[in-house]
Amino acid sequence: MGRPEILHGNLSRAVGEIPSKASLAAESRPGLEAEVARYLPQLGRMSEQLKQTSKQIEESVVGVCDSFQGIAVRARATVARATGFLGNDGPSDSGKQSFEGLIEACSGTLVKIMHTTVEAGDISRRAIERIEDMDAASQQISDALGQLDQITNSNRMLAFNARIEAAHAGSAGMGFAVVAVELAAATVKSRSVTAQVGELALNLRALAESTLEDLRRMNEKDSERIEQCRQEVDAALRDLQAAHSEMAEMLNGMTADGALLATDIGAAVRGLQFQDRISQRIGHVIADLDTLSARLETHVGNVAPSATAIDEGFSAYTMREERKVAGIDEAEASAGDVELF
Amino acid sequence: MKRVLIVDDSVSMRQMVSFTLREGGFEVIEAEHGQDALDKLQSSPVDLVITDLNMPVMDGITLIQNLRAQPAMKTKPILMLTTEGLAGKKEQGKAAGATGWIVKPFDPEKLLQTVAKVLP
Repeated sequence: MGRPEILHGNLSRAVGEIPSKASLAAESRPGLEAEVARYLPQLGRMSEQLKQTSKQIEESVVGVCDSFQGIAVRARATVARATGFLGNDGPSDSGKQSFEGLIEACSGTLVKIMHTTVEAGDISRRAIERIEDMDAASQQISDALGQLDQITNSNRMLAFNARIEAAHAGSAGMGFAVVAVELAAATVKSRSVTAQVGELALNLRALAESTLEDLRRMNEKDSERIEQCRQEVDAALRDLQAAHSEMAEMLNGMTADGALLATDIGAAVRGLQFQDRISQRIGHVIADLDTLSARLETHVGNVAPSATAIDEGFSAYTMREERKVAGIDEAEASAGDVELF
Repeated sequence: MKRVLIVDDSVSMRQMVSFTLREGGFEVIEAEHGQDALDKLQSSPVDLVITDLNMPVMDGITLIQNLRAQPAMKTKPILMLTTEGLAGKKEQGKAAGATGWIVKPFDPEKLLQTVAKVLP
C-alpha cells in the first residue's frame, strides 16, 4: 500500500512544480527548467517500477490460477476414483472391481456356500432316513429268520419222526429212511445258514445303529454350524452394506464439496481478473508517464540539472527490485533467504 | 470435442479463460495477439474464437475483419472479451463481424452459457 503513495508523491513533486508552456513562454525560468531536468530521470524509473509491478502481479495471478487448476483437476479425479470404486458410475479407470461389485460377488459366494451347506445337511438327513429304513429291513430279516428257524425245527422233528417210522417199517422203509437222513442233514445245513444270516443281520443292524448315531451327531452339529454360518453371513453382509452406504454417503458429500469447490473456483477466477484491469490501468499510466517524460525532454533536454541525480524517496524503497530500478544495486538478501541472529 | 481459440495478450486472462473452457469440456488453443491467432488458425481450424480488443501487433477488431474475409471463418462465432464497454466500440466490433461482446471480468458460468448459445 505504501508504494503507490510514494510514486504518487514523486509524480506530484515532479509534475506539480512544472509551469505551463504559456507561463514558460511568458517568462524565462531557468531555475525551474533545471529543477525539472533534475527530476526528469525519475519519471523513467517510475515507469519501469510500474511495469515491473504489473508483471509481478500477473506472475502471481498466473501462479494462483495454476494452483486452482491443480485443485480442480485433483478434486475431479478424486471424485471419479471414488465413484468408480463404489460402483455408482460404472467400473473404475483402473479396471479393478468396484466396491459394489465386490459386495455382490461376496454375497453371491456366501449365499452359494450357505446353499451347499444346507444341501449337505439335507443329504445327511436323507442318508439317516435310508439307514433307518435299512435298519427296519434288517429287523424284518431277523424276524423272517426266526420264522425260518421255527420251520427248520419243525423239519428236524419231521426228519427224526420219519427215521423212527422208517425203522418201524423195516426193509420197506429203507428208501424212506434215506430221505429222512437227507432231510435231517438239510435241516442242519439250513440252521447253519440261518444262523449265519442272522449273525450278518445283527452285524448289519449294529453297523446301521452306529452309522445312524454318527450321522445324527454330525447332522446336529451341521444344523448348529449352518445356523451359526447364516448368522455370520447375515452380519457380514449387513456390515458390508453399512460400509457401502457410509462410503456412498461420503462420496455424495465429496461430490457436493466438488460442486462447491467449482463454484468457489469460479468466483476466484472472476476475482483474479482484477489483475487484468489493474495491468491495463497501470499500462495507461505508464503510457502517460512516457508521454509526459518525452514532452518534458523536448523542453529541458539541453538544460543542465539543478543538482546531481536525486535520491529523495529512495529510502522508502524496501525491495531489491525497486532499488535496482533506481540504480541502487547493493549486495543484499534475496526473497526467501533466511538468516538467524 | 469443440475447439476454441482464445486471443489475449494477458497470460493470466488466457489462462483463466482456458481453464474455464477446458472445465466445460472444450479443447482450447491460445494466441497472444491477432497475428498470432491468424497464424495458428492456418494449422488448427476452430469452432469459436474469443478475442480481446486491445492487443499489440494486431488488435481484436482487425483480427475479426481478417477472419470474416476467410471462407472458413465467415459464419463461425467470434466473441469479444474485453474490459471495454463503450457503445461506440461495441458498434465497431459488431460492424467488423463479432457475434457477441463480453465485458471483463467474466463470470465463468456465464461465459460457458454464452459459448453454448453461440456454438451450433
